[in-house]
Amino acid sequence: MPGALFRVWLLVTALLVGALTPSATAHQQKAAITKVLFNPRTGNIEVMHRFYLHDAEHAVRHIFGRKADIIGSKETQQQFADYVSERFALSADGVSPLPLAPVGFEIERRFFWVYQETPMQDGIEELTFRHDALRDLWPEQINTINVEGIGDIRTATLEGSIEVASVTLDTPKN
Amino acid sequence: MKKGLIVFSTLIALASGAATADAVKQTKAKFDDKFRQLDEVLPTANVYRNAAGEPGHEYWQQKVDYKIKVALNEAKRSITASETVSYQNNSPDTLKYLWLQLDQNKFKRDSMAEKTTAFAGIGRRGPATRAANGNTPAKLSFSELRRQQFMDDHELGYEIRNVVDGRGRPLNFVIVGTNMRIDLASPLAPGDSTEFSLDFAFNMVDENTVSARGGYEHFPDDAREGGNDIFLLAQWFPRLHAYTDYEAWTNKEFLGRGEFTLEFGNYEVEMTVPADHIVSSTGVLQNPNQVLTREQRNRLDEARTAERPVFIVTAEEALENEREGTDEIKTWRFAAENVRDFAWATSRKFMWDAKGYNQGGDVQPFVMAMSFYPKEGGDLWKKYSTEAVVHTMEVYGRFSFDYPYPVSQSVNGPVGGMEYPMITFNGPRTTLNDDGSRTYSQAEKRYLIGVVIHEVGHNYFPMIVNSDERQWTWMDEGLNSYLDGVAGREWDPTIPWGVEPRDITGYMKSQRQVPIMTQSDSIWRIGPNAYTKPAAALNILRETILGRELFDFAFKEYANRWRFKRPTPSDFFRTMEEASGVDLDWFWRGWFYSTDHVDISLDRVYKLRLDTEDPDIDYARLREAEEDKPVSLFVERNKAEGKRLWVELNPDVTDFYDENDRFTVTNKERNKYRSFMAKLEDWERDVLTRAVEEDKNYYVLDFSNKGGLVMPIILQMTFADGTTEDLHIPAEIWRRTPDAVKKLIVTDKEVTQIVVDPYWETADVDVENNHYPRRIIPSRVEAFKDPSSSGLVRRDIMQDSKVKLKTPGDDDN
Repeated sequence: MPGALFRVWLLVTALLVGALTPSATAHQQKAAITKVLFNPRTGNIEVMHRFYLHDAEHAVRHIFGRKADIIGSKETQQQFADYVSERFALSADGVSPLPLAPVGFEIERRFFWVYQETPMQDGIEELTFRHDALRDLWPEQINTINVEGIGDIRTATLEGSIEVASVTLDTPKN
Repeated sequence: MKKGLIVFSTLIALASGAATADAVKQTKAKFDDKFRQLDEVLPTANVYRNAAGEPGHEYWQQKVDYKIKVALNEAKRSITASETVSYQNNSPDTLKYLWLQLDQNKFKRDSMAEKTTAFAGIGRRGPATRAANGNTPAKLSFSELRRQQFMDDHELGYEIRNVVDGRGRPLNFVIVGTNMRIDLASPLAPGDSTEFSLDFAFNMVDENTVSARGGYEHFPDDAREGGNDIFLLAQWFPRLHAYTDYEAWTNKEFLGRGEFTLEFGNYEVEMTVPADHIVSSTGVLQNPNQVLTREQRNRLDEARTAERPVFIVTAEEALENEREGTDEIKTWRFAAENVRDFAWATSRKFMWDAKGYNQGGDVQPFVMAMSFYPKEGGDLWKKYSTEAVVHTMEVYGRFSFDYPYPVSQSVNGPVGGMEYPMITFNGPRTTLNDDGSRTYSQAEKRYLIGVVIHEVGHNYFPMIVNSDERQWTWMDEGLNSYLDGVAGREWDPTIPWGVEPRDITGYMKSQRQVPIMTQSDSIWRIGPNAYTKPAAALNILRETILGRELFDFAFKEYANRWRFKRPTPSDFFRTMEEASGVDLDWFWRGWFYSTDHVDISLDRVYKLRLDTEDPDIDYARLREAEEDKPVSLFVERNKAEGKRLWVELNPDVTDFYDENDRFTVTNKERNKYRSFMAKLEDWERDVLTRAVEEDKNYYVLDFSNKGGLVMPIILQMTFADGTTEDLHIPAEIWRRTPDAVKKLIVTDKEVTQIVVDPYWETADVDVENNHYPRRIIPSRVEAFKDPSSSGLVRRDIMQDSKVKLKTPGDDDN
């Protein structure tokens, strides 16, 4: 929409912000970490999103309604996994996003994991990420992405105004 | 071969290097001294804080007493108040002026906090904005619009008037953002005290709109016309900045994140509120006969010895208050001794429960634990809030000191979690269902217990051990996150409390982070930086580096040294070292002063065998080794093709060398061996003889330090017979070669496998290179897809538990 410089942001329902503030408590971290792994064994780029269960618990009730239950309901878990998948995108070298197939989700101790994957491509020099999950709910949400399995670890952090973030890879040149 | 040296078959050299900065520089060769003592980094010890990390023999701190009268205008949601301050100058300095904190001024439109909030920037608490990007237009959330409208519609920040000295003479004052300087009529000499007073007023913020640590929360759906509010008064009165030996006035502008440090003192506060309100406050109620009914006072007495919390105001009574409203007012009077701040809450919505805690000891044998909450907190709070308050005091008391105040309270309001002396604000709520009932999820229950423990825990750090969160967030948040994990695990270990080292690896290996020792306003990713990483570090210090006995002793020593005093990071680092007797400078350097992570790799393992020097043994072994090598492929294939060899075709032609190979031992070697043995000193001969007899297994392990952070190497060896043995190598093994190190391991039994950090206790970010021989560690995606390994993980126990047990005769389906 060229020329539109100002628009009311209506992604989920923005009126929910601020009910819980992260002042002196560590109990809602509002921080997720994603591992993007170039896995030579599977030939895939594997995407593993880790959310604090406590963040997810609050989020699902905001997004899917009061009955949503991330611990007890498979339906809620699936909804949340879909919600995350819709808000995460990965593009290589500036071209259109790579198609990410859903792999599944699970709870592990204090964490809720969402898995995705896409076939590995050769010669990627730059990866660009969008990761809006929970950021459309809480402005304090910080999503960190570590790219591993291809040279040194590269990190992209999505917080505040940063809508997309890129990392350059140590791809061997042919 | 030189006499007296035992020679192994394999030897490898190594090199390492990295540069170091600071005043002392390594200018030849590369060497990063990870064990360099922190002497140049820590401030020089002095008479105020000594080199042991203790308050020095001339330690001092100021004392500030307050008398405040405050009135709440419920309709306008505003506060008007007057305060009288007595300032005792215990410093060796003469003070010409005093600095006060005006935290409410942060909400002024022209405050530094507001003006430096980058559009769509990072780091501000509260609603979001997004900048335009490519084809995406700039965005502003409804919440940000609401916030801006609220700020437009309300005059926020302090109105300050009538600043006068003890004799009523006006004092000059200057307001600088969230700070105020009051110029004294005459300089305040060491040991003297002065008094001044001022009037102040401000409009409270809507906490849900503005995101603050206090404010009001409106409940429009309550039965009373116009609804009701909960008012949380925190950081609400002009408070003296701390004046310290290490920073003088701690008058750094309040930008919203780094909280504060203050002076200890005594408070007398009178709050005038609507007569149907219940007030929860720092301190002890001074006029119960005037503000509580006889029934309520009787219930409070009953609560002192009750097994479970007793209601002072029941749910029904609170609901009745909610409906009615009143035009009457009442004044509650509270007094608090030796506290560093004062906060309170008031609402007609509060129910109130209490339970006595017999702490014992001399400091404060009895403490009243209390909770205040509206129906929205409801059944969740009734069960767990006050009990969690008591549990926190029990556990924290063992690890630090007895809780020193007569009350400890938990109040449910709009703030997610915040601490003040004797009072904490906690956010968890129940959910209103369509049928009118209220329930809560398992996660909300964990949240309540966890947040109450955490905030009540803050009474110890930093409300009593008075560190400065505006400078060093980790000193209270990190220590408290470590201890709330201890208390949580003592509540119910099946709930995943606390920080496991493995939880922090994703953060620690990421590129975007700053050292823990970073000023609060400049920190990136405050959660993992100031809470999780220091808590993980302390866990590791306790469980892996020092052991529980040494750690607990040193930690308790720190808490008691600095109880009601003002520690800095160096006091913590020095005390932990000095009291444990263990050099920890490398640990502080790595975990608190750097962004290194832990990644120790076991690169190679060499098996060595002792040369016995006895040719009858050594030559036979050499022959064996030769025979173990694969036969030449050329020769094998000749044989396969049926080629007949010359020697096979001519068996009658042989000589000496057909019977003896190059490993045949002659008397020449035996004589040489005897001569060698004869020349050995007696003790050398004994050593060699015993070693040959024992014939132990010698392994050289090659480690590399890929993450930079030096840590102990914890090894688990598996032997050929299936048994295992653990070995703990202190971090000091890295002291001369921090990038790579070798270790000789001697075992009776043959080793088949070695694993570094088998219990995942060091936060090693890559466990694949911890195994020798290498083991493929499946990624989480691989493990998830593997049907054989994920069976148990994928069970939905919660759902499955609803399945009824079948009895014989039931259908199989």
